[in-house]
Amino acid sequence: MMSAKTVQPSAPLRWTIGLFLATWCLIAAFPLFWIAVMSFKLPVDAFSANPLTVIFGPQTRAAGQGLSLLDLALGLATLAALYVVAAKKLGGWVERVAGETWLPLGWVVGGLLYGAVAAGVLVVLLPAVAGGLEAVVRPIPLVGLLAEPAIGLTLEHYANIWFEQEFYRNFINSLVVTAGVVTISLTVGTLAGYALARTRSSLAFWLLISALIFRALPHSVLVSGYLPPFINSAEILEPFLGDAAPTLYGQPWAVILVLVAINQPFTIWMLRSFFANIPAELDEAARVDGCTHFGAFRRVIMPVMWPGVITTGLFSFLLAYNDFLVTSLLLDAQNQTMVPAIASFFNRETTTTDQVRAVAAAVSITAPLFLLVIVFQRQIVSGLTAGAVKG
Amino acid sequence: MAEVRLEHVTKRWGAFVGVADFDLTIADREFLVLLGPSGCGKTTTMRMIAGLEDATSGSIYIGDRRVNDLDPKDRDVAMVFQSYGLYPNMNVYENIRFPLKVRKVPASEHDERVRRASAMVELDAFLHRKPAELSGGQRQRVALARAIVREPTVFLMDEPLSNLDAKLRVSTRAQIKNLQHELKVTTIYVTHDQIEAMTLADRVVVMNKGVIQQVGTPTEIYDDPANTFVAGFIGSPAMNLMEGKVERGVFVGQNVRVPGVSTKEGPATLGFRAEDASLVMEGAGERPGEIVAPIYTLELLGDATMITVRAGGALVSVKAHKDYRAEIGDMVGIRLAPELCHLFDAESGARLTPARAAGGVRAVAAAR
Repeated sequence: MMSAKTVQPSAPLRWTIGLFLATWCLIAAFPLFWIAVMSFKLPVDAFSANPLTVIFGPQTRAAGQGLSLLDLALGLATLAALYVVAAKKLGGWVERVAGETWLPLGWVVGGLLYGAVAAGVLVVLLPAVAGGLEAVVRPIPLVGLLAEPAIGLTLEHYANIWFEQEFYRNFINSLVVTAGVVTISLTVGTLAGYALARTRSSLAFWLLISALIFRALPHSVLVSGYLPPFINSAEILEPFLGDAAPTLYGQPWAVILVLVAINQPFTIWMLRSFFANIPAELDEAARVDGCTHFGAFRRVIMPVMWPGVITTGLFSFLLAYNDFLVTSLLLDAQNQTMVPAIASFFNRETTTTDQVRAVAAAVSITAPLFLLVIVFQRQIVSGLTAGAVKG
Repeated sequence: MAEVRLEHVTKRWGAFVGVADFDLTIADREFLVLLGPSGCGKTTTMRMIAGLEDATSGSIYIGDRRVNDLDPKDRDVAMVFQSYGLYPNMNVYENIRFPLKVRKVPASEHDERVRRASAMVELDAFLHRKPAELSGGQRQRVALARAIVREPTVFLMDEPLSNLDAKLRVSTRAQIKNLQHELKVTTIYVTHDQIEAMTLADRVVVMNKGVIQQVGTPTEIYDDPANTFVAGFIGSPAMNLMEGKVERGVFVGQNVRVPGVSTKEGPATLGFRAEDASLVMEGAGERPGEIVAPIYTLELLGDATMITVRAGGALVSVKAHKDYRAEIGDMVGIRLAPELCHLFDAESGARLTPARAAGGVRAVAAAR
């Protein structure tokens, strides 16, 4: 108790710290909050000089698109329920169904399933239920007010950008690129990281140093190196593949190659340090107990290792998902991933409507990130704080 | 059940020699202890037997099979590690069961065998705990159970007690000794603790710098050390070793003069154990002791008093009666019986006096 008392900062210091953190959170979170609000309003409201107009959207409401208090309550409850399920329940289900050996795969499948179900609930089930309830409530006096629109909200920008302007194609491209980069980086990274953590060869040191040097190279150098062969790949590959030789430029799966080249050194370093924390006695015990070297890796090391794999996977995901330079230079306008696509939406900038649509696209891109962090928060925290794994 | 045979086994890393020309046959059901200071090659030797390290040259046989080119899993050995090597994601039951599972032992036998093994190390109450929820002693017992459950032909134990506290070490040591007796499995045990070696071993191999110094029963290496290294390593306190030279059959050094030790002339090292010497009581008309020197320090051990003096260029200790008291600086005389002294070559450290039959010397000492 005494020691806890002595490290307690003084009241003014505590207030200063609190104030600083609050200000910082506000500054960091405000832009996201603001564009999220804007994206649900008609351009008249979204670009209004009065902040209250932006938030409550009277014009949008007048146009007949609004949320009643009932909708708001239902929506918030649904979001809270989805969060609880993702954060508390999903882990248990996945572990029960997948078992120890298939846990990582179980998480991928579980995460995707959860995302699909959550989208279904929000887009289909929630409006149907809310609409039904409103129809029931509206004829009742006084209580009927709950069903009247209170806040202006429209989904038309989202509908336009996702379906009419085919943003879903960009989404699929992003998914392909990201999944490819994460899969390849983690597969190569775990195998290489394990080998580098266990070897006694001095070659390992030089491999790691050269990996660091490649990681330090500016991405633009790598991309400009890849660009000419990507454009001419059909000619270059013709002697080997004949007429089937593909043009790599503009192909999302070919971008995976470049992003892996950028990401791999970092992945190897990070996974290596996770493996180095696992005592070698564990592999040795498994090998004496009856496993092959690879069997020991799969049955004993990987189950202990996977918080590290999740954490590294998250960083790889973010790199691939958020990449702009590589994807914008190596992909043509028809086949872009989400980030360069959003940039081109903003660049078009003809009407205010176009701008709000671009904002809606920019907000859409953050949703999967939230989902990811919510689902994996436990693993990410344990991965980041994992010290030595002691038997 | 099998004997283990090592023929001229050598391990080299570049120019560094880890183990040099290790040549030994370990009998079926024998408890063999590899003993030496850290870096002496004892663990490397064990790891080569386990298959975790490749021998640079030489052959290793387990039973009739040459195992040099076999994977650890195919050698039918079980190993207990210094820091346990338990699988942290599995509970105790699954840890013990793991070898049965990977070796595809029929599932119907698992439960019975796991329970039998855990009962032998008194772990029945902890089967559902994770290793992180166990104490060090319990973890090491899980490791023992995991080794037992497979019923292997050889047990390998790599300093299994060195992470435990002193009290637990004594009880776990007794448990290991008893288990080995029950199971009758050839056991190779690595330690740097000579008390563990003396208490557990049927035979002890003392190693230094990758070379076997002596192989023998605990009594043999205690009573007849083959060289000054073994003499200085075994026993607590270790054997007193004094520098000097032999002149006409008399060993002469600083403060020391022992007649009748050898006929070989020249520089030599004389060794004796603290309990093989006695103090010369004054005024009894006795001749002066072989060592006469002022007391350097005096330690009360409870069951005895240790007196240390400077002689032959070293500090030598003698065990005296527990009631003996004196001041630092007082002159004492120490009586050495030549037949209880060991003479070593000054250069090589090798023993010069012939080894006496084990136990014989003690009998002489007791009769006096």
